[in-house]
Amino acid sequence: MEKLRLKVQLAFAALFNIGLFQWHNICFPVLNCHSCPTSIFACPMGILGQFAGIGLIPLTVIGLMAIAGLTIGRFLCGWACPFGFVQELLYKIPYLKFNIPSWTRFIKYGVFAGLVVAVPIYLTPESSLYFCRLCPVGTIESAIPWAIINGTTNPGHLALRLAILFSIIILAMGHRRFFCKVLCPLGACLSVFNRFALVFPERQETCSECGSCNRLCPMETTPHPKDFGVFVKKPEECISCLDCREKCPTHAVKLWG
Amino acid sequence: MRIRKIFWVIIFSLSVAGTIYGAFFREFLVYDNLEKFEKLKNVGITIKIPGYESTENKFEVQSQWFTEPEVVNAMTFEGISRYKDGKLTSNYPDLRMLKGRLPCPT
Repeated sequence: MEKLRLKVQLAFAALFNIGLFQWHNICFPVLNCHSCPTSIFACPMGILGQFAGIGLIPLTVIGLMAIAGLTIGRFLCGWACPFGFVQELLYKIPYLKFNIPSWTRFIKYGVFAGLVVAVPIYLTPESSLYFCRLCPVGTIESAIPWAIINGTTNPGHLALRLAILFSIIILAMGHRRFFCKVLCPLGACLSVFNRFALVFPERQETCSECGSCNRLCPMETTPHPKDFGVFVKKPEECISCLDCREKCPTHAVKLWG
Repeated sequence: MRIRKIFWVIIFSLSVAGTIYGAFFREFLVYDNLEKFEKLKNVGITIKIPGYESTENKFEVQSQWFTEPEVVNAMTFEGISRYKDGKLTSNYPDLRMLKGRLPCPT
């Protein structure tokens, strides 16, 4: 399953940045920078921030995110997000592994409220504190390519972006999907809907409560005996990677919640 | 469980309705950015965009209706902002530069 998922993630990463055509009037709910010279879709976080800057609500962007969240939850985080894929690869690098406190997962809601919404409203989208100006995905897909193509007029800010990017790379090497758990504002939005998603891993009666799903979970969720998906704690973090389904000794996890 | 399903149906219906309304019916009136013209004019740059006569002393404000997807596209290259009087204005001299334009660096 993990190999299949990596192949699907690779396919999506290529699809989002193939550059053969551009549908920038559509936001696909994954974190993929639209300033990338070869990007296909617009980034929902970038558009939300820009709309916030002019005091408007982008109904199509919020609607598409809600539809995705209500139907498949954070499935896209686990199977389609290019930066999630990069982090999965980074974690495979032999490096000092470490745990992070549980409360850190709430930071991403602050990132969304502060850097994506409040900064454009109360400062401007041109502010260097705006999320897109700091986003590691934007640095990889946009800032670095455009700096190579056109040069940069603000080397200090580029240095800051690179420092943030390398910090996140180091942290993602030590902790699986560090950015998704702690910092991703899109993950914060989708996780709100995750509890109500149609497609969600759910445990069946054959469960022997061995807890292997909990130990294997990349998002560190905690098992639940019945009802509300597989997990009782942090269900909003589940990215439907299905590692639990594959490794379950009694095949008690099914995808359709 | 039943309440959860009802809540899901309500939120999902609102999301679909909002998406359809935003994608097909919502429109924004966007104005030309006259300050850009004035700045260009002041530094002696002749504007050769149809609809604007460079010989005119004062340019006439033009406006155009943009659908929400077109505004989303324009936002990918930070093409629209809000003017002092609250109107949505183009960040580029000509409104037509906002439709179908490729991204630029942020």
